[in-house]
Amino acid sequence: MESSILESIGQEIIGVMSPVSLCMLLVVLLVYSLSDSNPFSSSSAPIRTAANLVYLENPSDTTAQKLEGALLNALVFVILIAIVTFVLVLLYYYNFTNFLKNYMRFSAFFVLGTMGGSIFLSIIQHFSIPIDSITCFLLLFNYTIVGVLSMFSGGMPIVLRQGYMVSLGIIVATWFTKLPEWTTWVLLVALALYDLVAVLAPGGPLKLLVELASSRDEELPALVYEARPTVSRNEGNPRSTLGLLVAGVSDSGSVELQAVSNNNVRRDGAENRRSPEYTAIQVRNLENVEGERNRDEGERSPLVGHSRERYSSDSNSSEYSTVIHNRESETSVDEEMSPLVDLLGMDNEREHERRDSVVASRGIKLGLGDFVFYSVLVGRAAMYDLMTVYACYLAIISGLGCTLILLSVCHRALPALPISITLGVIFYFLTRLLMEPFVVGMATNLMMF
Amino acid sequence: MTVAAGIGYALVALGPSLSLFIAFISKKPFLILTLLSSTLVWLISLIILSGIWRAFLPLNSTTWWPFAILIFSSIAFQEGLRLLFWKVYKRLEDILDAFADRVSKPRLYPTDKMQIALAGGLGHGVAHAVFFCLSLLTPAFGPATYFVDRCSQIPFFLVSAIIALAFVTVHTFSMVIAFNGYAEGNKVDQLFVPSVHLAAGMMTMINFAYGGCVIGIPLLFLMAILTVMHCGRMVWRRLSESQRQVDS
Repeated sequence: MESSILESIGQEIIGVMSPVSLCMLLVVLLVYSLSDSNPFSSSSAPIRTAANLVYLENPSDTTAQKLEGALLNALVFVILIAIVTFVLVLLYYYNFTNFLKNYMRFSAFFVLGTMGGSIFLSIIQHFSIPIDSITCFLLLFNYTIVGVLSMFSGGMPIVLRQGYMVSLGIIVATWFTKLPEWTTWVLLVALALYDLVAVLAPGGPLKLLVELASSRDEELPALVYEARPTVSRNEGNPRSTLGLLVAGVSDSGSVELQAVSNNNVRRDGAENRRSPEYTAIQVRNLENVEGERNRDEGERSPLVGHSRERYSSDSNSSEYSTVIHNRESETSVDEEMSPLVDLLGMDNEREHERRDSVVASRGIKLGLGDFVFYSVLVGRAAMYDLMTVYACYLAIISGLGCTLILLSVCHRALPALPISITLGVIFYFLTRLLMEPFVVGMATNLMMF
Repeated sequence: MTVAAGIGYALVALGPSLSLFIAFISKKPFLILTLLSSTLVWLISLIILSGIWRAFLPLNSTTWWPFAILIFSSIAFQEGLRLLFWKVYKRLEDILDAFADRVSKPRLYPTDKMQIALAGGLGHGVAHAVFFCLSLLTPAFGPATYFVDRCSQIPFFLVSAIIALAFVTVHTFSMVIAFNGYAEGNKVDQLFVPSVHLAAGMMTMINFAYGGCVIGIPLLFLMAILTVMHCGRMVWRRLSESQRQVDS
């Protein structure tokens, strides 16, 4: 019996959704385990961060004051992020790539070391783990150095890089959940709006960055999570690693399919067409400045289409991360996007002959900022109740799925924050206000359906 | 009652679904997506129901008939939503079959369709367990426990976990029965599912009486076992039919 299509459809989506889910789960666990350590100290001395510059929330303020203060905070934060993004675009435009690279290395080192270190220390404190300071320092140092190496140089296993991306997202998200409540919610909504504008509007900084990067045929200078799809176990069928499945409805009412294949290898042939392969990228660049003000700033790039697919002729190299600016060693391959039926039929025969040539397929890329803000939303929901956590988790995952589907339809840069954050916020408030009295009232009377 | 007890209650409610997930669903990404979307549909239905009923809450917990109306309306709404789910699934099946034709792979097997139905049902079941049982389990991880007056023999967490286990079973397998019934046009199957769901919901009404859970919960499990047996018989019949078709 031949294998059915059910084995392989939807792999890329799951490849992105699993690290996002893992990040959210770990942030929720961290929030739960670290929140009851000192319930009173958090309200006594709130740290002043970039998100808190204007207004420090006080539980005794009136609702109107809190709302106004939160709006001001969010506005200031978004303006700061916009300024930093524009500075980044300028630096990239004038080819300060070395500076950018070293700066990103430094900021990753700093975030992993100090913020990760303080979370590590509070975990030790909370669970009373018997460990001495020298061991602790050594472990932290190793962790940080390996993190920086795996993220910014080639030759490291891709799993390690993915793991460090997720842990970076966890660390930053845990720090963001220390913000006061009203500020967090308004900030999330403001960032979703900013993302929408910065990616889609004509003068938006992220759109400019993406266009610059694609015109120079380089990777974006930022932290991006790559989900490399694994080669399917079923070697007998060359079509088994097909990409996303998108359904369009033709005018006759029947359904027409468009499959985006992202692992075609063509070396020759009259069918060679240089057509773009579209992947999704969203970028986040984190910066942390020490001192009295802990500033967390980020910039976000849209989900982007890459105009060139790269592959390596070595079968093992699909496991290794690609270096950001080192392109000379890899040859470029003409990528074929197969939109219609007959091309797919012809693809089959060619692939059959050339199955030995190994393909490294490009999966979907998601920027680290998305990880962080999804986890912040879920972490803040965790501070209320578990029911809101599940509702927000489902909302965010479905928003992410919608965005990925939209991406395969639109084939251009797309912001990943707006849909998910909107759905997440709506579901949070609906669950908190409507669903909870309903469900708790019934469940405590042991009546369920 | 400590982390161990909390994890124990969670596993009582969700253990079988976890093993079903690991055995069948985790290997096929499409089934994971089906599970997530059916969980989302159940959540949305719960939100809509609570929106409709919000004005009447909190209900007076001494009379039983408001709860009966609540449960009846909720189950009717969810069964209607199941029909809608079926229609969406039919469309999806057409898309998948057309896709399979284009990549010259075989169309969906009957076992594939049943697996999709199982994933959908499991999504419903997991949503029920999560929202009715797990979300209330947070105090169970602490040092104390909680008893309800009406069922004072065992802690509330254990009772809700056991009820959730029964409902997970009912939801999971009734989706398989329902999809099969709609596909074949079998009236018995089509009516079986809503009536079992309604009966199960009404059984929980028995919990309203003092000490009623001693009767109510075994009856609930009877419903669950009935569902599993019916589903098993139906699947066996389908598979042997298709095997006969292949052989002949």
